[in-house]
Amino acid sequence: MHWLHLAIAVIFEITVAIAAGKAEGFTNRRWTIATLLSGAIATYFLSKALLTFDVGVGYALWTSVAGIGITVLGALLFGQRLNWRKALGIAVVIAGVVGLQLSGVA
Amino acid sequence: MSNTHPNSAQSWLMLLLAGGFEVGYALSVGGSHGFTRLTWSLVAVVFFLLTLYALSVALRTIDVGIGYAVWAGIGAVGAALLGPVFFDETLTPARAVCLGVIVAGLVWLKLADRPQNPQEPVDGPQGVQGAVARS
Repeated sequence: MHWLHLAIAVIFEITVAIAAGKAEGFTNRRWTIATLLSGAIATYFLSKALLTFDVGVGYALWTSVAGIGITVLGALLFGQRLNWRKALGIAVVIAGVVGLQLSGVA
Repeated sequence: MSNTHPNSAQSWLMLLLAGGFEVGYALSVGGSHGFTRLTWSLVAVVFFLLTLYALSVALRTIDVGIGYAVWAGIGAVGAALLGPVFFDETLTPARAVCLGVIVAGLVWLKLADRPQNPQEPVDGPQGVQGAVARS
């Protein structure tokens, strides 16, 4: 269940990044509300996930997987190139996540 | 250095503050126990707004990729180090190494995602990565 909560929190954290970009310095009211709402939902599900995960572990998983999602979505939807340096960053994060799992994270 | 262009020392101070707020956010979200504890929950909401505000101010002048990398790095390292201080958690060596690898990968990823990178032309909007930069 904690992995599901973490996954939902990650999805809404990615939404935060997208909405904040469209909020134009928080002058666009609709996107500003979307940013805060997404942030609230992400935070709620992160807190549910942290009932099981240690804070340091859960927070790192959350923010890093969201970071990967933001980069991948940027490539898919916003025409940014996924170069080797980004791919390397993604690979390193995944290696760390797998390592955490192997060390019995939760 | 006019009032409309805050100097970089101020911006970096704001970025470090944002990182500190992010650590407070992570710890209080954990301490809220799924938002069942009122005090921790209120503290979490305050830190959430503070980190968002401070980051957005810092990123007005600091490069998005660098700003995000520093902010995310401080948040993740701070949460990992202070989690065991505030809660009944242990940071084993194996876990610390894995967290270090994740943070290194994340910081690298944020730096690689810099829109100003000359080797990497970006069409149109900077996309989601540039998000908070304009906020």
